[in-house]
Amino acid sequence: MTAEQRRRVRDLFEAAVDRDATDIVAWVEREAADDSVVRAEVLSLVDHHSRAGAFLVQPIVEQAADLLADEEPLAPGTCVGSYTIVRELGRGGMGRVYLASDARLGRTVALKALAPHLMRDPAQRERLRGEARAAAALTHPGICTVYALEEIDGDLYIASEFVDGHTIGEEIRAGRQPTRDEVWQTARELAAALASAHAKGIVHRDLKPDNIMRGGDGRLKILDFGLARIGVGASDAGPRMTLPGTLIGTPAYMAPEQINGLAVDARADVFAFGVLLYEFACGVHPFAASTALATVARVLESDARPLASRADIPSRLADVIARCLQKAPAGRFGSAAELLGALDAAGGDATEPTRHATWWRVHHAVIALLYIAGATFAWQIKEWVETPVTVSIFLALGATATIGGVLRGHLVFTSAMNAPRLTTERRRTRRPLAWLDGLTAVLLFADAAIVAGTGALPAVLALALGLGIALASLVLEPATTAAAFGDEP
Amino acid sequence: MGAGPSSVRLMSADQPQPPPPARDLAPVVYDELRRLAAAYMRRERPGQTLQATALVHEAYMRLAGAGTPWHDERHFVGIAARSMRQILVERARARGAQKRWAGLNRVSMTDALAVASEPAVMLPALDDALTRLETIDPEQARIVELRYFAGLSIEDTADALGMSPATLKRRWALARAWLFREMSSS
Repeated sequence: MTAEQRRRVRDLFEAAVDRDATDIVAWVEREAADDSVVRAEVLSLVDHHSRAGAFLVQPIVEQAADLLADEEPLAPGTCVGSYTIVRELGRGGMGRVYLASDARLGRTVALKALAPHLMRDPAQRERLRGEARAAAALTHPGICTVYALEEIDGDLYIASEFVDGHTIGEEIRAGRQPTRDEVWQTARELAAALASAHAKGIVHRDLKPDNIMRGGDGRLKILDFGLARIGVGASDAGPRMTLPGTLIGTPAYMAPEQINGLAVDARADVFAFGVLLYEFACGVHPFAASTALATVARVLESDARPLASRADIPSRLADVIARCLQKAPAGRFGSAAELLGALDAAGGDATEPTRHATWWRVHHAVIALLYIAGATFAWQIKEWVETPVTVSIFLALGATATIGGVLRGHLVFTSAMNAPRLTTERRRTRRPLAWLDGLTAVLLFADAAIVAGTGALPAVLALALGLGIALASLVLEPATTAAAFGDEP
Repeated sequence: MGAGPSSVRLMSADQPQPPPPARDLAPVVYDELRRLAAAYMRRERPGQTLQATALVHEAYMRLAGAGTPWHDERHFVGIAARSMRQILVERARARGAQKRWAGLNRVSMTDALAVASEPAVMLPALDDALTRLETIDPEQARIVELRYFAGLSIEDTADALGMSPATLKRRWALARAWLFREMSSS
């Protein structure tokens, strides 16, 4: 098109848009009858003009102010309310995260500065407050604690526990394959933390390797629990963030129903758990594909690759992971509590009897014998000093010895005959046994006090027996249990 | 926090430097706008909308003085609009590149239109189209910069370009139609 033709197109277009819409086409065809190029161009532009709608009508800054919000980070030493910025830790969908010290309580916190555009809408601000409140209600050693939602000079900050360590994502990317025990330990810790949140009705929604920190003590902590929805709108502030179909989460770890924009519950976390544990165990994403979109397509349509690359992963654990990765939520575990139960059931064959477990059994047998010794001795004391009190103590010790002996015998029997149930049984009996031991010790102390008038030796014997049982319960039992199973149920 | 622009830090040395300014772009205007925008974002309260014109005007008030490279506020507005375009497109591009994966997070994949209306996705394409329009008719590109990037009204845009509001309105319609066709076909 020549410059002359362009000028003509411009003039004709500008004259045309002022005309009545019904005769524009006829008018243009008449006016540009001699030049088909000009005619076609004008008609095309008029057509697009009529369809352009609100295109470019609203100045960009008014609809995408968040583009201007990509400001520089706060400098170290800057004071924000009672917090002093130490350094920037990183930035995510919600805004920048800083390491800061809280002058009021003298502790170090992770301070998340929420991007201003996330809070423009008062309703969004209110929802954010609600989510932060719910997240702050979660207290579990496996969940990074949210301390406070602070409003400082109109800006919102979330102060949370600072976990010094590295993420599971970094571990996966480092390429070192974890041992079988590390896989089990990771699975149990994560499932237990998830279960505690699910019990409070809080779903993570964005569980992924980069959201899980391993602290200096080796313990795992899940970050950003219940906060996933706050980050929505990071790139599109406005009403769209509440529309169905807007994705929350990271596609590679999202359950199919989440990708499809359907309602999400605890079972989406169960799916993410499956993906993440799979990836942790063998270093490969179960739905790995060449591009992000191809991965999403595989999550939606294809089954996960079998966990074959890890021959040493017991088939029972592989089955648990496979069930987490079911496409239909109904096919998965209903919540992390069910998942944890399944892990415990499957975990039995991972904690095969070792020589440490033998010590654990010996410990239980010895304590059971001590119970019997205590009850027998109480009978002897009752013979020496027959009062209603000594008779009652004898009866009570007889009862505690019977119950305690049966429970400990049950544990030893379970460890030998039905190992998969052992963790569950240990968890169930831990507290009753502690109470029984405490009660036995107190009763023996009482007997010692009563028999002290008769003779020093029986008193010392009763006292020693009581102390022995109390110390065994407080000190020895946790140690032998940890040596045998590496945890405290 | 929340203090005036004077408390806003200048660009630190380790920040990536902007690409070479296009044509008559005055770096000082660009920097001032960046600082003011950051300050506005900090001060902003719920329910308030950032006005691009207010931003441009404040930058002018702060920079106006002896030795400035522009003749008057009209001339300044043209430079400022260009700077706004550069700042916003740059950030949209950076965001798109840096968050290819994460970008998927927030986007509705079932709704292609929603993807297209996402400023971070659309701006780089608009910038390319605008550059093409510039080679055909620089005046139309200026109009789009003033209206869309600097947020000027029809009257103020007409005034800045020295044409009548009626003419400007038609030419703006032409630029929009042209860009809309360019964007929807690509």
